[in-house]
Amino acid sequence: MSEAAAVLHLDHLSRRRAGRAAVQELSLTLRRGQVLGLLGINGAGKSTTLAMAAGALVPDQGRIYLNGEDFLEHPQLAARQLGWLPERAPLWPELSVAEHLVAHGRLRGLRGDALRQACAAVIARLELGALRRRLAGVLSQGQRQRLGLACALLHRPPLLILDEPANALDPLQLQALRGVIREEAAAGTAVLLSTHLLNEVTAVCDRVAILHDGRLRHDGPVDPADEAALQQRFFAIALATQAQAA
Amino acid sequence: MSLAAVTGLELRRLFVRPLGWVLGALTLAWLGWNFTLLLGSFLAGQIRLAALPDGPGFTDLVAVPLLGQLGQLAFLVVPLLSMGTLAGERRGDTLPLLFATGLGAGRIVLGKYLALLVWLGLWLALTLAMLLCLAPFATLDWGKLAAASLGLALMLATLAALGIACSALASHPAIAAAAALVLTLALWGINFGAQMAGINDGAINYLAMSTHLQPLLRGLVDSTDLAWFVLLSILLLALAIRRLAAERERG
Repeated sequence: MSEAAAVLHLDHLSRRRAGRAAVQELSLTLRRGQVLGLLGINGAGKSTTLAMAAGALVPDQGRIYLNGEDFLEHPQLAARQLGWLPERAPLWPELSVAEHLVAHGRLRGLRGDALRQACAAVIARLELGALRRRLAGVLSQGQRQRLGLACALLHRPPLLILDEPANALDPLQLQALRGVIREEAAAGTAVLLSTHLLNEVTAVCDRVAILHDGRLRHDGPVDPADEAALQQRFFAIALATQAQAA
Repeated sequence: MSLAAVTGLELRRLFVRPLGWVLGALTLAWLGWNFTLLLGSFLAGQIRLAALPDGPGFTDLVAVPLLGQLGQLAFLVVPLLSMGTLAGERRGDTLPLLFATGLGAGRIVLGKYLALLVWLGLWLALTLAMLLCLAPFATLDWGKLAAASLGLALMLATLAALGIACSALASHPAIAAAAALVLTLALWGINFGAQMAGINDGAINYLAMSTHLQPLLRGLVDSTDLAWFVLLSILLLALAIRRLAAERERG
């Protein structure tokens, strides 16, 4: 498959933040049905990469292509083609769960019956029925993550971007999240998720990209049965980079 | 359509937060009380006023002063209402969420501005309703009332644009409110010193909001005054849009 046919193609992205190079010359391609885990320690550049891929941040250099179209030229593509769950799932505390879904649906261009059906489907899927009237400001962190994920999934985007989605989830919620990610991938959605947990990568990803100091250090398939190999590679990259810096 | 979605979202947030209700209820109660006082004073002096040729009527003694009081309350109400529009989104980390729905800075700012205008329009309409409920029993100068209402509407729209610009520039809603309040007062009375020195024309007087509102409250509609409000609103909204677009680029 060519890069033009990829759901997401990051082409030599660079971005400086807080006076340092957060992402440098990063290129990645994500195809339909793939789950790509972006792995790295804190400050590796994962969230910056995802924010650029989601259209929330403009890169200093490089291009982003969504389904072959230049995303920087056409930022409105974000409305229907991607769903983003940022780290810590920011919400409007004064709005209820149901109001969040309606607001996100409208911002994504859903109206009338299509909006109602999408809300009902995602509420049922993520078991938010009992919470639908509850204000976002009083939700637990795990419930916030579920609502954030629901907002990202609402319009059935072909690209799902999840920033540390496993944060604050209990084992049952984590299991449910992994189930949702697998279902989405099986339905053809491309999933890009960031994590610093190795077992998260082996549990749901079929490819892993390791970032360190904003640079891509490894991009390859994941063997779900061999977490030790991934761990060995991850630490080798981290230690080698630190040794170089020293 | 996404502009309507932003407006709808902002309106929803305005109407579910207690701030909008508290501000609306308290200011309307204050205006209602003052309306009663103004009306009582007018009725007490009605016989004496009737003897004067071209003496002031209900519009001059009740309607315009009441609208003037609404304008004074707006100095405080608009900064408080507008402070969270962008600074609150920034503080709650929800601004990137809006960017990630493909919305440009222009649509975000205009959507929020329209929501503020709806709230302020309702506020003005409820104040006018107090006056209009007496219309069958009083002789209203409809032209003067329309001019004063237009002036107030333009003033509210300009203050809303100023509030949004301050909210776009400030890191915290409280700072945005304080900045908007100080700038509103400065804009209103920038020419007070010049007037005390006996200078009643020139650029300094042209800059002051009071110079452009007072004629409208007296029933004089001048296109220069209308243009001043419209141009200032456009300038302030453009500033807010530019600041927001730069924020998306700078991160």
